[in-house]
Amino acid sequence: MTLFMDAEMPVFADFMDGDAAVVHRVRVALEDTESGKVVYLHLTEGEPVKWSVRDVRRLRDQAGRDAVTYGLAGEHPARLVVRDASLNAELGRLCPHLDRHNNTPHLMRRLVILSAAAIASVALIVFVLVPKLADQMAVLMPAKGEQALGDATFKQIREALAQNSTTQLKLCDAPEGKAALEKLVARLLPGTDFPYDIRLHVLDHKMVNAFALPGGHIVMFRGLLNEAQSAEEIAGILGHEMGHVEHRDPTRLALRSAGSVGVLGLLLGDFAGGAVVLFLTERLIQAKYSQGAEAASDEYAHALLAKAGLPSSRMGDFFRRLGKKDKDNSLLSHLASHPDPVARIAAADAANTVADDYERVLDDQEWQALKGICN
Amino acid sequence: MFDQSLQTDYAGTRGPLFWLALKTSTLTVLTLGIYRFWMKTRIRRYFWSAIRPGGIALEYSGTGVEKLMGFLVAVVVLAFYIGVFNLILMFLSFSLLNNNVVAYLASFVGLIPIYFYARYRARRYILARTRWRGIRFGAESAAWSYAWRAMLLWLATILSLGIYLPRQIFRLEKFRTDRTWYGQQKFCQTGNWKMLLRGARHYYIGLGLTITAGLGGFVNQSMLGLLVLSLPWLAIGFVHLRVTAFRRMTDAKRLGNDIGFCAHPRTGRVLGIYLLGYFLVGLCLVMSMVLLILIAVVVMVMLQSGALGYDSFGALFSGKGKSAEYLVYVGIALVYFGFFILLGVLRQVFVTLPMLRHYAETLEIRGGHHLATIRQRPRDEFSEAEGFAEALDIGAAI
Repeated sequence: MTLFMDAEMPVFADFMDGDAAVVHRVRVALEDTESGKVVYLHLTEGEPVKWSVRDVRRLRDQAGRDAVTYGLAGEHPARLVVRDASLNAELGRLCPHLDRHNNTPHLMRRLVILSAAAIASVALIVFVLVPKLADQMAVLMPAKGEQALGDATFKQIREALAQNSTTQLKLCDAPEGKAALEKLVARLLPGTDFPYDIRLHVLDHKMVNAFALPGGHIVMFRGLLNEAQSAEEIAGILGHEMGHVEHRDPTRLALRSAGSVGVLGLLLGDFAGGAVVLFLTERLIQAKYSQGAEAASDEYAHALLAKAGLPSSRMGDFFRRLGKKDKDNSLLSHLASHPDPVARIAAADAANTVADDYERVLDDQEWQALKGICN
Repeated sequence: MFDQSLQTDYAGTRGPLFWLALKTSTLTVLTLGIYRFWMKTRIRRYFWSAIRPGGIALEYSGTGVEKLMGFLVAVVVLAFYIGVFNLILMFLSFSLLNNNVVAYLASFVGLIPIYFYARYRARRYILARTRWRGIRFGAESAAWSYAWRAMLLWLATILSLGIYLPRQIFRLEKFRTDRTWYGQQKFCQTGNWKMLLRGARHYYIGLGLTITAGLGGFVNQSMLGLLVLSLPWLAIGFVHLRVTAFRRMTDAKRLGNDIGFCAHPRTGRVLGIYLLGYFLVGLCLVMSMVLLILIAVVVMVMLQSGALGYDSFGALFSGKGKSAEYLVYVGIALVYFGFFILLGVLRQVFVTLPMLRHYAETLEIRGGHHLATIRQRPRDEFSEAEGFAEALDIGAAI
């Protein structure tokens, strides 16, 4: 039985058999046979081509409504282009799976395996290979190289934190303040053997933070000095940063991010806002890795303080106060990369071996000079 | 037999493309970028199907899945290369030379061969997934020798201060064309690089003026003022060179012995499409951003007056309302992502679409009746798809 268009009103379409680059003008007929409904494509000569309606597919995302291109399920390249609107409507009605395009089921399994393998290998590269290599290289790197790396980073940081892009953030160097700082370092450092000199800087910025850079740079912000209530607290924080210097953590970190930033950039690609995600992901990776390093530097600081006859419990005081005050986000960034503050405070208190009548590291006048180093 | 000439129709329209691009790029952002492989696939399907040489549309048969898989493979290879290579470079550079300039430079130079390799592979993948009249296109595997050649030719171009450019354009195009197939028939690039010279004269004038200005600048600072004239001349001359080179080289392409092509895109039209297109993109962006800000202001005023019934939101300006604060963050995120989504979408609609239309409508195939002898070629599995190009963000417009 003919379902659509008899011979008196023939409907034609363009047919390509997927074997030769020829466009055949075919007469289209839809018929009911015992094996189901079939689309007959009558060529000018020879047997008609038969497409079962169950196999007919309509190509997706096609431009222009005047012509619709049909194909068969699977990879078969034969195509039928129909420009007759009523035939298109009829095909839409009769072909049950016109828009079922599951032509890659065999790929799905491979996709899952491949995704897992890819994530595993990139994780291995970023979390194991690059850090291991960086650890090895940080030890091997000559002191001069580390200093150059530190100098470059320090300059970048000062530029990044400056109000406008053409200047660098101001270095605080009031002479009395500097003298006090040197006295403090001298008390902490005798007998410690670094491959390079410790270079201590105070930057004029309200952030409550301090950090170490490759090659012996230790940087404190004015905000940290403002927040501290005694020179012993500052001594504890300096001890902590010296621990990083001793363990070459900043060099490790710089080498690590040299390796991993590029890799992450690859992964996240070019979608909008990729840079933000890149930054956050990088932070997370560093944070995960630095927890151990932070604890080790705390221990180093405790030992340094004990040797200098200073109480490590003052370090705990500082964190305690900061923790109480912190209602906004200023500590949030600190938390991500540093161990739990409660544990740090407990460790600092537990490590304390110095009685309360210790010799103060700075007298009141020197302490005030240090606090005013940025004036 | 008559020389049958096939004209090319173009069926793409702005409306459907706009909605397709908007939908797919929103999904891309929502899926943290993973949907971009499907976005590319769908946009290509649209553009390909819009181009109809001899009335039959091109077909793009690539899939999102294979692109994602290719990307994963490329990421693993490149992650190892970039991660370890950069690290070693950084270490050596600081250890031996005490600075990082060499490391950055070497890291960049090390990616150049991969860049050309990826370009060729991406082209091969796209050809392998392009069909016309049911017959597949294809390209031979020659990515490394292409990369090698491209680097040498680019080096020659740079060392000659750009004078070598026409020859470079021709030789790279010949390399690619001579390895391109339609079914079991091979393309061939005839002619030689000298046929590009006529279209290169404005490029050379602009180049000459720019070099004069640059050299003169050492002697007399005021010579640099010449750049105001020479740089636009150079830029327009460059576009003219590219357009005429496309024209001449397409006219000199053969498919087998009997099928030829004729392209006549015009420089003025191409420049016009760019200028008008980007003007419209900018205009639409500004208008939609203004609209967004107006909506934001209205919402804020309504919130503050409690018109929406959320009292806690009213606390926005007193600094107590947490939920109101989140609302502001959501608003900022919407504007940020909305801007990038809209930029991409509008560029497709106002620049890529009219440009393709112009190139399509000015393309003819000569000797179309000889196509009948061309047979199908086997499917090129090419499981890595365009993964390397995708991973390295080698931006193709589509």
